[in-house]
Amino acid sequence: MKTLIGGLLGGAIILVLALLSVGILPATSLKLVEGYMPMQMLFELGISVLVFALMSRLLSMGGISLPRFWQGILFWAFILLYLKFRVYPPIPFSVRAMYGTVALIAVFMWMSSNEEDWKKFKQPILNVLDAGTPFHKALRTTYLIALPIILWGYSYNSFLPNLDEPVELRTVHPAPPASTKVHGKTFVLQTSQNPYRVNPEGKYDQEYTNSKIVEQAMGRLLKPEANPWDEKAEGYLKYVREGGEIFFQNCHFCHGDNLNGRGLHAFAFNPIPANFTDPGTIAQLQETFIFWRVAKGGIGLPNEAFPWASVMPPWEQHLTTDEIWKVILFEYWHTGYYPRTWD
Amino acid sequence: MKDLQSKSQWLFVMVAVAAITMVSGSATIWTSAEAQEGGGLPEGFTKGNLAALPSAEMVEAGKRVYFTKCVWCHGVDGAGDGPAADRLWPRPRNFNQGTFKIRHTASGELPLFDAKKPIPGQNDLFETVTHGLPGSAMPSWEGILTEEQRLQVLSFVTSQLVKDRKFDDKETETQTVLQLDGIKPIPPTEESIKKGSELVVDKKCIECHGVNGRGDGNAFNLKDDWGFPIQPADWHKCWNFRGSRQDPYEVKNIFRTFSTGVNGTPMPSFADNTTIEERWHIANFVQSLCERDVNGEPLPIDPLTDKPKVNFVIRSGPVEGDISDDPENEMWTKRERRIVLFGGQITHKPRNFVNRIDDVWVKSLYNDKEIVFLFQWDDRSKSVATEKLPFEPTEVNLDQYGIKEQASKTGEPGSIAAQQNQYTVYNDAFAFQFPVKWQELPAPIKPRFLWGDQKYPVDIVKWDANGTIKAYAGTGWDQDFEDRDDFTEKLKVLKQEWKDGRWTLMVSRPLKGDYDEDTKFEMGKYIPTVFFAWDGHNGDIGRKMAVSAFYYTIQEPPIPKETYIYPTLIAIGVVVLEGWVLTRRANKKKGKTL
Repeated sequence: MKTLIGGLLGGAIILVLALLSVGILPATSLKLVEGYMPMQMLFELGISVLVFALMSRLLSMGGISLPRFWQGILFWAFILLYLKFRVYPPIPFSVRAMYGTVALIAVFMWMSSNEEDWKKFKQPILNVLDAGTPFHKALRTTYLIALPIILWGYSYNSFLPNLDEPVELRTVHPAPPASTKVHGKTFVLQTSQNPYRVNPEGKYDQEYTNSKIVEQAMGRLLKPEANPWDEKAEGYLKYVREGGEIFFQNCHFCHGDNLNGRGLHAFAFNPIPANFTDPGTIAQLQETFIFWRVAKGGIGLPNEAFPWASVMPPWEQHLTTDEIWKVILFEYWHTGYYPRTWD
Repeated sequence: MKDLQSKSQWLFVMVAVAAITMVSGSATIWTSAEAQEGGGLPEGFTKGNLAALPSAEMVEAGKRVYFTKCVWCHGVDGAGDGPAADRLWPRPRNFNQGTFKIRHTASGELPLFDAKKPIPGQNDLFETVTHGLPGSAMPSWEGILTEEQRLQVLSFVTSQLVKDRKFDDKETETQTVLQLDGIKPIPPTEESIKKGSELVVDKKCIECHGVNGRGDGNAFNLKDDWGFPIQPADWHKCWNFRGSRQDPYEVKNIFRTFSTGVNGTPMPSFADNTTIEERWHIANFVQSLCERDVNGEPLPIDPLTDKPKVNFVIRSGPVEGDISDDPENEMWTKRERRIVLFGGQITHKPRNFVNRIDDVWVKSLYNDKEIVFLFQWDDRSKSVATEKLPFEPTEVNLDQYGIKEQASKTGEPGSIAAQQNQYTVYNDAFAFQFPVKWQELPAPIKPRFLWGDQKYPVDIVKWDANGTIKAYAGTGWDQDFEDRDDFTEKLKVLKQEWKDGRWTLMVSRPLKGDYDEDTKFEMGKYIPTVFFAWDGHNGDIGRKMAVSAFYYTIQEPPIPKETYIYPTLIAIGVVVLEGWVLTRRANKKKGKTL
């Protein structure tokens, strides 16, 4: 009974993997929990080994025992398919090749664990080499002819000149200058402050403004009591709205309606526009750094950040200093991030 | 593999449909029988019921979503007049009239919306918010807003911002629903596609969409319900179909749009004057026009951008002898083509917020003297300036001639959408730039994408629709072009033709020019390349244009001898090895038996 359940379970596992590999089951449907992936994978593989053992017992009970040779080959194929199709997000080929080799060695160790098993494993290979039966003879001839041809094709492909896009490494957030001059005024990055990040008394106040930003939950929605579109909105929230207006008249074309870098023109450009909702962009930077980047644009980048390729406008050509500060205020409000401080 | 995959997916869908039909079988049969008896309903449609209004909590929660995400384009009152509106074309939707484009309901009816049923095929507005409207500024909100939040914001929009109609008013509103899942598709066979190609003529589709379906028919006289100019869809770019639901090659979506029409636009519903069968033929035909790869397979679409995936390397293939100037010649038809995507030039004034040319297909061949480029791009109009321009072709700073970018706040009458088709017509034009003396650039430095800079000048070749082609030196985005007359003499336009909404341009340039001024090509080297396009009817001139990212042009080297020699050596080695193994085995066996 137990073996029967094991056998059915084994069939189910193989079926799921088959569905995954032909794409009927989307790769994302059976999610591995982030952070526990290796443990889950080992667990799943362990269960599979157990179940396959039961399955093979079931088969031999039914009188159809699978030769040791094919057991090894099939198990190895299972591991390869599992790595390619089960694991999502996909792992790169080089890593898969490494795991595949380890699995192959493991299969060999299993096959050669005792003399009898090793013999059983070798037997089909020797049969083909000896060509004792007409079938084996045909098989041997096929192998002898096909092997050199396949290897020729494979090496021909690898000798063809490679015309892929050259890889160039770009620094996304280069080191900022000590100060920047915008519209005739010099801003020292260490000491400058956003003049619109203020509390109701008109004082620079991070704590107050940070309490008004959108909620850092799914959807990043505004706090009901802090709606910039409220007619009575004053001070900080009013500036956020004004910044949003400027953003949606100028910036959303690339940085997107949700500030995620997926705007109307974004698809055409390389490097792609920054995604402000990503914790690796504005959340990691000081407000004055953003001010420098916005004012000077792509053309103002140092060489390691590829100024020649960036289509980011030098916004000092389009916006006033005040407008730039308001846009920055809006970007932090809308993404729900705090600007990083110097201390 | 790919084929197998789509087939098996199809099978899965069929099984699912069958299962659903079995469960809800009696109900479906009953309603369609009623429809037939009742008469008056177009084929494939059944009467539906108005959904219940969403709860007050849903509406209130939706207000919060709206004022965080939507208000910026759609405006405080949902009149499609938010801060972004005046620089967008198409303009954001004005919700007030309850006119929605993509629906399963009959022409003129409200779309399907039920705050309790986020089911594909039964909730049009939910699907629009989920997948966005590709080709417009409306993004996909899937993964940004939860399913619940999307339903909430739609509850707010349908009950508060749709002002002229009521979603639950039984007196004035009806729901006649296209039963898309119950209709068996006709497979896109050659015969069906051929019938479709005849039907689009019969049903006058081509009057607007053009003889070849590139949206170049009645392109300049169409207006939407609000009086804004609007352009017919280009059937060759299915990834820009608003109703594609991010699945552009899916023929069902075309069938749906064709059956229900697009409310608020001149696109009518064809449900009354076509049979279901005819609609499938037309949908199959339209879908068959969408661009495909060399094997006729759908192009891979990037899920993040809803555009075809881009390869940044333009390969130029070797040719012995002369290069044909006929794009239909085998040397061209066999050549792989690459898509280059365009965005508006939005870096320097005057910024181009709406670029009507959004891609170009590029092929290239070279021989020992010249390199030839074949460009093909869709442009709904052939534009050639009728009057002599007041400025020199080399000038790029044209503000004093009134070449201005769209102001951000103009109100509807002055918005980009209202301005369309009223621009002074300039020449359509196309240009590409390479770095001069790229051999000396310290990697990875390149001259700036926008016409180079003082330190690193560029070699620009620009063609104008009036037939001129010229070589210029570019030394910066704000620097007037400098003529390079010596090189201009060596440039050739092998073919230029505008036909049925598509430009075909073939340009030849020498492989080697003067080292200090012209780009010298070298076999197997990556030459950074930028492309520019101007649509004369879009008022494109000077910096108001479409621009690409950096691509690379590379002369494909002829296959070296080693590529044949080494694999052959390896194969011979394998044969020898096989012989050795066999002999050894035979000897061993002999030894044993002896």
